[in-house]
Amino acid sequence: MSEGHDDHGHGKQGFVSTYLFSFDHKMIGKQYLTLAMMMALVGGILAMLIRLQLGWPGTLWPSLETFFPTGMASGVMTPEFYVMLFTMHGTIMVFFVLSLAPVSGFGNFLIPLQIGARDMAFPFLNMLSFWTVLPGAIIILISFLVEGGAAASGWTAYPPLSAIRSAIPGSGAGQTLWIVGMVFFIASFTMGGLNFVVTILNLRTKGMKMMRLPLTTWAQFVVGVLGLLSFPALAAGAILLLFDRGLGTSFFLPAGIYIGDQLFAHEGGTPLLWQHLFWFLGHPEVYIIMLPAMGFASDIIATFSRRPIFGYRSMVYAIIAIGILSFLVWGHHMFVSGMSPFLGSVFVMTTLAIAIPSAVKTFNWLSTLWKAKIRFTTPMLFALGIVSLFVTGGLTGLFLGTNATDIQLHDTYFVVAHFHFIMAGAGLFGALAAVYYWFPKMFGRFMNEGLGKIHFWLTFLAYYGTFFPMHYLGIAGMMRRIYDPNTYDYLKPLQPVNTFITVSAFILGAAQLIFVANYFWSMAKGRKCAESNPWESNGLEWSAPSPPGHGNWEGEIPEVHRWPYDYNNPDEDREFTPQWQPARVKARG
Amino acid sequence: MAEEEKVRPYVSHGTAMALSIWGIVLVSVVFFFVYGLPDLASDRSSQDTLYYVILAISGVAYIIVQLILGTFIFRFRHRDDAAGSYWHDSHRLEVGWTLGTAAVLVPIVVSGLVIWGDVKASTDVPPDAIVIEAVGAQFQWDFRYPGPDGAIGGFQPELYSLENPLGIDETDPASADDFVRTNQLVLPVDRVAHLRLRSKDVQHAFFLPNFRVKQDLVPGMETSVTFTPIKTGEYEIACAELCGLGHYRMRAFLTVMSASDYDAWLAEQAAQN
Ligand code: HEM
Ligand SMILES: [Cu+2]
Ligand SMILES: [Cu+2]
Repeated sequence: MSEGHDDHGHGKQGFVSTYLFSFDHKMIGKQYLTLAMMMALVGGILAMLIRLQLGWPGTLWPSLETFFPTGMASGVMTPEFYVMLFTMHGTIMVFFVLSLAPVSGFGNFLIPLQIGARDMAFPFLNMLSFWTVLPGAIIILISFLVEGGAAASGWTAYPPLSAIRSAIPGSGAGQTLWIVGMVFFIASFTMGGLNFVVTILNLRTKGMKMMRLPLTTWAQFVVGVLGLLSFPALAAGAILLLFDRGLGTSFFLPAGIYIGDQLFAHEGGTPLLWQHLFWFLGHPEVYIIMLPAMGFASDIIATFSRRPIFGYRSMVYAIIAIGILSFLVWGHHMFVSGMSPFLGSVFVMTTLAIAIPSAVKTFNWLSTLWKAKIRFTTPMLFALGIVSLFVTGGLTGLFLGTNATDIQLHDTYFVVAHFHFIMAGAGLFGALAAVYYWFPKMFGRFMNEGLGKIHFWLTFLAYYGTFFPMHYLGIAGMMRRIYDPNTYDYLKPLQPVNTFITVSAFILGAAQLIFVANYFWSMAKGRKCAESNPWESNGLEWSAPSPPGHGNWEGEIPEVHRWPYDYNNPDEDREFTPQWQPARVKARG
Repeated sequence: MAEEEKVRPYVSHGTAMALSIWGIVLVSVVFFFVYGLPDLASDRSSQDTLYYVILAISGVAYIIVQLILGTFIFRFRHRDDAAGSYWHDSHRLEVGWTLGTAAVLVPIVVSGLVIWGDVKASTDVPPDAIVIEAVGAQFQWDFRYPGPDGAIGGFQPELYSLENPLGIDETDPASADDFVRTNQLVLPVDRVAHLRLRSKDVQHAFFLPNFRVKQDLVPGMETSVTFTPIKTGEYEIACAELCGLGHYRMRAFLTVMSASDYDAWLAEQAAQN
């Protein structure tokens, strides 16, 4: 993992400044990726425990008592523990895995390389952003250990559950730590967003016009803007929630709350205010997770199809349109919340409008595959997987975005299925595709292709196996966030579906261990990548050495002469023409 | 990439990918015929109709798009003969599928809004509707019936106590003949029911899977649902919003009776009071 060529720029490079407090965007990107991978392991284990309970509700697992002496006391999972599991699973996966890996990880690693810059605009801020999110992650993790356990009000943290200590065990110190951890996360993420936007606007190399940016960078640009505009709403909400919890204010709490034979003195607030603030962030957040994945998919599909991306301009417009619309749809999470039904109707229109740019992207990907010459490398398989998952998850959005049908499906497993396809699935596959694809650039070695293939096949099939049947559960009426569906007679016949899902989920989880092993093994022992452009790709990042040294390019930063999708351009004499290749007029005979 | 792989880059995986996608489409669609909505027991069939319309539209789109994806992957998995094509823009196609998507969405949005309007038009509760107060609290449902006077009395949060869990205001004359049933709701068939929902503590959601009814209970404000049972029988009532560690067991029952049985039941309750 040598960084090589360290004599540019920032002076001497000891261990601390190279690996810990590095200013180098590539190292910071790797730090984020490593952190995200650690958090994914935790989030994944939590998911496995959720599924264990739903697969065989109430069964004794005495061996697990060793690991979770309170949560699995005498071998049975407690309902308290279950609620904490999905709360922390969702929180960790959304914020600390699928925001960190594709955005903070790959955004930092790729943006300067793809636009032709030696580093991000504010390297110090960049370093600081990592060292701000790390304490956030640690706070979130140790919250499991405090009295009462981790937060237990769902990743959405709706008050009064999240505001009143006696409402649920996790609403004590665990919830406070959740809020504090989130504030660290938000501070870090807005620093990153600022860096992304400024870097992309100002540090592009000669010839790199905005309309020559790879779609990955376009996505990161819009993501930077979304982060900057949406996270402050959650920061405000979180701090007000902290006040309600600790200082006796009533932003989210009305008069007349009665819990545990105690009438609370709050007055004048409403829980709906929190929902508005939360989803004003929450919906853009799912696009923060998805847009980079869509960018990766576009770049990877073009490379391995040996085809220019179809409809580049409309892809860019679609990314921007999705970004703007994502701020106008938050109310679709609140159709049955008690919000005005008229407002609900408005949100139906904005929500279904988002389907249009989403469909455009899908059709463009399909057209890119038309008359392609596909190379089925592991990153390409994952990128194709993104398209498939995105179609599946996007279509189920029609049921939920239409308020009349959402009434029945809201807060059921249909929703869990929907967002695990469109956000979690596309995001996860995006992060994995990106790792396989840019690994040679990051570490100068390839990941093992055979293990990669096994990982892909298990992941793809088990992903469908795990999440598709959740649609059936939701349609049949199974609520989400329930510890034991067999409490209800009408849900009892669904137990075989739940057991099947759990078995698939275990396969899915185990398959990720292959990936982790491959990742660390390949970093040290993988096949060496001597070339700078192993995939015969066109993006500017492939002009830098693998791995790039400090400052990214040894001599001058190359000039850019064209868009990044010149594959099989009939006016050129090579099969692919990278961005840094000057235009040449081919003598055609 | 190793040299021979540049020539034949893992073609078999292309075939496998195409087959997997086709297989997934087949299997996933079949099970929609096995699992479906719970039997409908209310007048909200329009919601179901719209559901089936969207299921048909999105089902067709799902099948077609995934099949195309699989087919392209298979067809263009490798071709020794030709190079990848450089075709990358078609104004006509792009305008076509943008407008095409919009054209499919507009009728969904419009019918969704119309049905939503019908369902939510609770301002015009008919005079002969049965009005009941449903109170959610960790983790039970209490249903307060108006009694013979047809009016539900008031409540005061200050009055909440173990003896008076709903905070019923006894000074309100309308309260005198009210009666409360815990986790048991009884309704007559074919008459409009209007439920006024309030929560004592956190948010809950009143969910009647068989009736296509779901509405959050929000402390500090009253929400409501209006629907008409069309079938007699026993049904389960669920809580659909996370409300604490007992959320999963916040369950109640709804019995729908014939009009005469219901009147007899009411008389019995009044006698007990
Ligand atoms: C390893 C594969 C995964 C499995 C088996 C899994 C399983 C589940 C299950 C069963 C639930 C529902 C729990 C309940 O409602 O009782 C859930 C919730 C959730 N999952 Fe996952 N999940 C996985 C990966 C992911 C990923 C990658 C994300 C990334 C965004 C994610 C995000 C969420 C969120 C946001 C929730 C909602 C939590 C809440 O209700 O507060 N999951 N997951
Ligand atoms: Cu409840
Ligand atoms: Cu509940």
